[in-house]
Amino acid sequence: MNKEQFEIQAMDFISGNMSENEKREFENFLDSNPEYKTEFMELSDTWKEIDALDAPRPSEEMDETFFSMLKEEAGRTKRKNSSEVLMKWISTILKPQLAYGVLLLGIGFGLGFYINSANDSDRTTAIVLNQETEDVRQKLVLTLLEQPSANQRLQGVSEANKFDDVDETVIKALLQTLNRDSNVNVRLAAVESLTNYVGNPLVRQGLVQSIPYQESPILQITLANLMVALQEKASIEPFKQLLQEKELDTTVQKKIKKSIESII
Amino acid sequence: MQSLTDNTLMLKVKNGDLDKLGLLYERHKKRLFGFFYNLGNNPSISEDLVQNVFMRVLKYRRSYSGEGSFAAWLFSMARNVHYDHHKRSAKESISHGVSADDIKGETEDHLNEEYHNEGNKALLKHALSLLPHEKREVLILSKYREMKFSEIAKVIGCSEGAAKVRVHRALKDLRIIFSQLEIA
Repeated sequence: MNKEQFEIQAMDFISGNMSENEKREFENFLDSNPEYKTEFMELSDTWKEIDALDAPRPSEEMDETFFSMLKEEAGRTKRKNSSEVLMKWISTILKPQLAYGVLLLGIGFGLGFYINSANDSDRTTAIVLNQETEDVRQKLVLTLLEQPSANQRLQGVSEANKFDDVDETVIKALLQTLNRDSNVNVRLAAVESLTNYVGNPLVRQGLVQSIPYQESPILQITLANLMVALQEKASIEPFKQLLQEKELDTTVQKKIKKSIESII
Repeated sequence: MQSLTDNTLMLKVKNGDLDKLGLLYERHKKRLFGFFYNLGNNPSISEDLVQNVFMRVLKYRRSYSGEGSFAAWLFSMARNVHYDHHKRSAKESISHGVSADDIKGETEDHLNEEYHNEGNKALLKHALSLLPHEKREVLILSKYREMKFSEIAKVIGCSEGAAKVRVHRALKDLRIIFSQLEIA
């Protein structure tokens, strides 16, 4: 056994870190090596003396200082924790889930726009449908105006009143009715219907041209009133022609003369 | 209470349950105080140093891995605290025109008084104070029987065998100083 081994084993022995066998072996070694034995005995004595070393009890102040320090630190950590929670929350917001959320929102918007534009096309369809209804109505008016029954022709004229924007064909048909229809009521209704579209030059022209063709006093007077209301100067000439007719009713004559004066 | 080992408690402290440090403090305060006191510090400084150790434990709690014994970790910190304290007080004494030897003298005086009053025990303390710091430290660490040589080795940073050799030689030197004091 060299010196270092002895030092290690001696420490193991006095600190109780040896098995019974090892102890016996070490004791045998000491017995056969008196110089080591002396050294070991001295060592053992000193070790026991050190064992007797003690220290006074720490004061209660030390405890107080420690626990107040701990309390303070715990408070600080708590505050720190709440700020950490906030940071955690922010980082959660910034996680990929947000991206998915935004993506979903985007898809939602996209769908919304798509549905909305589909609505637009619905509106277009509605407009187209309206257009088609107008077309059908115009055809109906034209058909009704050609019917032999005065009643149906009247119905056709009243249908013509429902148009927002009237077609040229319908205007021509109405003017034709005004000039040629056999029934005075139908013709009167045609004048009333045409009154709705006096903004159209074709209508005004047609009305002026129809003045000489009118034989019924009531129609002559209605047209005269209309022309005065419209201040249509082009109507003066046809009215003058009408005045030259010998069979003209005197009341109508007076009315027309008065109208011509008021137009001029 | 012992069902909660030091390691478990310290890991709880690490995870934010700071109250558990109170328990660890109660378990180790006496040993730490004794460690500083027997290294030659007066009781008031020893108490301050114990305080400093636990402040460091709090500060570095996140670096605690849970591997090895808690006592070894704690006493490594205590060693550093003691080292820092003496470095600082040496610096301060230089700036105040007082040498480190004066402070040592005071400590010795403090121990000398006890020597007269308490005989052998005081003589031993005095002998201890005359030992070089490293040897005194290793002896005091080994004096706490609960601390195994493997733990002491970790605290002072050497192999277990080397720790035993160091303790042995420190003990031998102490014996020589003690004998000399006895003769004187």
